[in-house]
Amino acid sequence: MNTEELIAHSRSRFDHHQARISVREKYQAKLAFAYRGGLWRAGPELHSMITTCGRTGETVLPDLYDTPVLVDVAELLTQSQERWHEQMTAWLVEYEELNKTR
Amino acid sequence: MTRGVTIFAFNNHQTDYLAMAAWSAQNIHRHLDLPVCVITDIDDATRTANFDQVIVTPSPQVQQHRYFYDYKDSGVWHNMNRSTVYDLSPWDHTLLLDADYVVASDQLRVLFEIDQDFLTHRWALDATGYPPFADNNYFGSYRMPMHWATVISFRKCKTARLIFDSMQMIRDNWDHYRQLYYISEDTYRNDYAMSIAMNIVDGHTLSASAIPWPLISITSLSRLTQVDTDTYRVEYENSNTDNRTKWILLKQRDFHAMGKKTLGEIVANCC
Repeated sequence: MNTEELIAHSRSRFDHHQARISVREKYQAKLAFAYRGGLWRAGPELHSMITTCGRTGETVLPDLYDTPVLVDVAELLTQSQERWHEQMTAWLVEYEELNKTR
Repeated sequence: MTRGVTIFAFNNHQTDYLAMAAWSAQNIHRHLDLPVCVITDIDDATRTANFDQVIVTPSPQVQQHRYFYDYKDSGVWHNMNRSTVYDLSPWDHTLLLDADYVVASDQLRVLFEIDQDFLTHRWALDATGYPPFADNNYFGSYRMPMHWATVISFRKCKTARLIFDSMQMIRDNWDHYRQLYYISEDTYRNDYAMSIAMNIVDGHTLSASAIPWPLISITSLSRLTQVDTDTYRVEYENSNTDNRTKWILLKQRDFHAMGKKTLGEIVANCC
């Protein structure tokens, strides 16, 4: 076994791991968006809450601060999905750049 | 409703906080498109041209000294008048930033679009993952939850006024509160006073609302350099592994540069 190679590989994976965590945290933060005075985090959890609330038109949903907010279901879902896709795409681009750099 | 950013800048013999704030104002204009007010004791129009409003006020009469690890030296720390921001800030909705908070994205803009009177970061973490930051998110022997005073979003309202008034009361009676919360350090810290004040105003429920993403911090143990506009390289060693130098990039990501020396060098090279 080439232990030098193993050590080099292990070190590189360690550094890569921290960089990946850092980039993931960045895009987690960017998922937050404002709508009708409430703060929301785009993602499957919010999409599920919107689609399973059983309403079209307006309804009341709790935001990240557990404040009830009167929302337009279609409008909130659209904004959330757009934010989600935008940030996931940006994350992928930065993730691939990171892989090349390392 | 007027909106803007306010920064305190009182220089000491080691750090030119006014230069940092002026550099930060450029970043804030570019990313957040908000006016910036500086509160300083330096009355010099050539040094304050980057700001939209300048409030000249004497530096705090009570001075503290603290050890700055990056300078390997003690220095004066003018942090005793932060709670006066409620009266001094010209904005109805203020984003109070430390001079060493680096704005490299539009992330903070969302705070102006939500119905919250007072928000701070509840959690801070080190961007490098080392040293572990978990203990810094609590203070005192009772492990009181820490709310970081680095970024404060507040509207002029009863809640904010009570929090800042309480901070002044805590500052003026620091020995009492230090003993009450079993805080070992003598030095007054705005983070501690604000956390205590927020909890008092919230009826001791430990339920204060917080900014829902962590405060990214770079400690003075790391070396910070600017690679490009809004891209910074952080070099660090981790004695838990092998002491070799590692690095990460922070690209379009806001952070708190706790090491004033390396941030000061970046600012000096820019201007």
